[in-house]
Amino acid sequence: MAAFRVTRCLIRDSARLRNVEQKSAVVFRCARRTLSSESANNSPTDGRSPQFSDEEVQNILTKITGLDLQKAFRPVKQELKPPTYRLMTDAQLAEATQKAIQVAKERLKMPPVLSERKLIDDVLAEDKFLEGLETVKYVFTDITYNIPHRERFIVIREPDGTLRKATWEERDRMVQLYFPREGRRLTPPPVFKEENLKVVFLQDRHEDILDLCLVQFEPDSPDYRRVHNLTYEDIDKHGKYDLPCSTRHFGGMVWYLVNGKKIDGLLIDMIQRDLIQDAASVIHLYHMLHPQGSAAKEAGEQQAQGIDLVKIFARTESQKAGYVELALQAYQETSTERSAQSSSP
Amino acid sequence: MHLLHFPLVVIRVAFPSILSASLLLKHYHGGHVVIRLALGGCTNRPFYRIVAAYNKRARDSKHIEQLGSFDPLPNLYNEKLVSLNFQRIKYWIACGAHPTKPVAKLLGLSGFFPLHPMTVTKAERLRKTAAQKEALGAPEEGSEEASESKPETA
Repeated sequence: MAAFRVTRCLIRDSARLRNVEQKSAVVFRCARRTLSSESANNSPTDGRSPQFSDEEVQNILTKITGLDLQKAFRPVKQELKPPTYRLMTDAQLAEATQKAIQVAKERLKMPPVLSERKLIDDVLAEDKFLEGLETVKYVFTDITYNIPHRERFIVIREPDGTLRKATWEERDRMVQLYFPREGRRLTPPPVFKEENLKVVFLQDRHEDILDLCLVQFEPDSPDYRRVHNLTYEDIDKHGKYDLPCSTRHFGGMVWYLVNGKKIDGLLIDMIQRDLIQDAASVIHLYHMLHPQGSAAKEAGEQQAQGIDLVKIFARTESQKAGYVELALQAYQETSTERSAQSSSP
Repeated sequence: MHLLHFPLVVIRVAFPSILSASLLLKHYHGGHVVIRLALGGCTNRPFYRIVAAYNKRARDSKHIEQLGSFDPLPNLYNEKLVSLNFQRIKYWIACGAHPTKPVAKLLGLSGFFPLHPMTVTKAERLRKTAAQKEALGAPEEGSEEASESKPETA
């Protein structure tokens, strides 16, 4: 009976979430179409610091994000449809669970973290004799279908006669006008202003705002970066690390915190939840990104694993060293108690 | 008029890539393909579609292919939006289509064609009239100042 209910939930939710899947599929298809000219994998052996898209980094982040099926498939606001019921054997139920896990993995694919885009400042022609002919700008967009949006020609003829390439904001607006994307608006909704973001954070709706931001902005636009940074800061300040946990924004958050050296709160939260392996992975990532730090050197000398890594980090580079050590002590006490209880009877 | 009905049946068949351009154009007696602006929109709100059509067709009636759009009224950001499908425009010009004057001017402003000579001429004429007005305005101002100073002194 319980298995039946679970199956029903899973099938209903995974069917329902097809819309959202399509949206995310659209996001990734468009992201691939728009980022076609950028290289895929930068190996760390190039001598540069590890990038977000490195395989190692991605593995660590996916492992930390976890896979909570109940949270991944929790009900999302959608149009009302009567649920479908199916009678299944145990084997079929296992198959359906596997499929649901696959779907959840798709949904948990992390959105890319890119550096901010450089300003476009390219003048194609300066025809000063055209000055005074018009009082308005002409925006010429190339609507050829088969070219990626990043490579599309969008030029502007100013009233003073200069023919220049359009800025990123103008480009985004024109592309959205002629090739509209579902969910994206021409002008960004006012929820992305600072004051309104604060209200959103008070309501604990960080995930929703991040999803909205993903749909509305390009990954390398300054607005996207600003909204994401504000969200992560707020999560860090109030310690609400369980909000993005098991969603696809968790990896991005961890990457931001590790780059900003603010992983103390996250570590404390993980230790309190008994996720020592995840905490160790976070510190491993930290050492990968900041190999010159004292913690990294000590860990390298002692070849530490697991909880020892955490201890070394707490001793050396942590800002909230006291809290981290307290949490570690509490964890060790509970673990010894548990082992005592399990060994006694 | 009668003869036109027969080629219409042929023209409705799938277009360019399979049939050659000369085959297409022969069926329309004495006509040729043009790239022009077809007017749409509502009262006091024009909107043009840049369109490849047969010369003899009505301005807004059935076209061969839409190649873009032109909005003559400026928007919130003080821009006139023009969209152009350059790939297909190149194809039709290669087929021997003639762009009309406004389309040629737009293409010149966009940088796809060289600037249309009338654009340059219009700009020059505007500057000449502006210069003439200034020249007229200067002696007038001089006489006005003189007439203003006389009543003040008087």
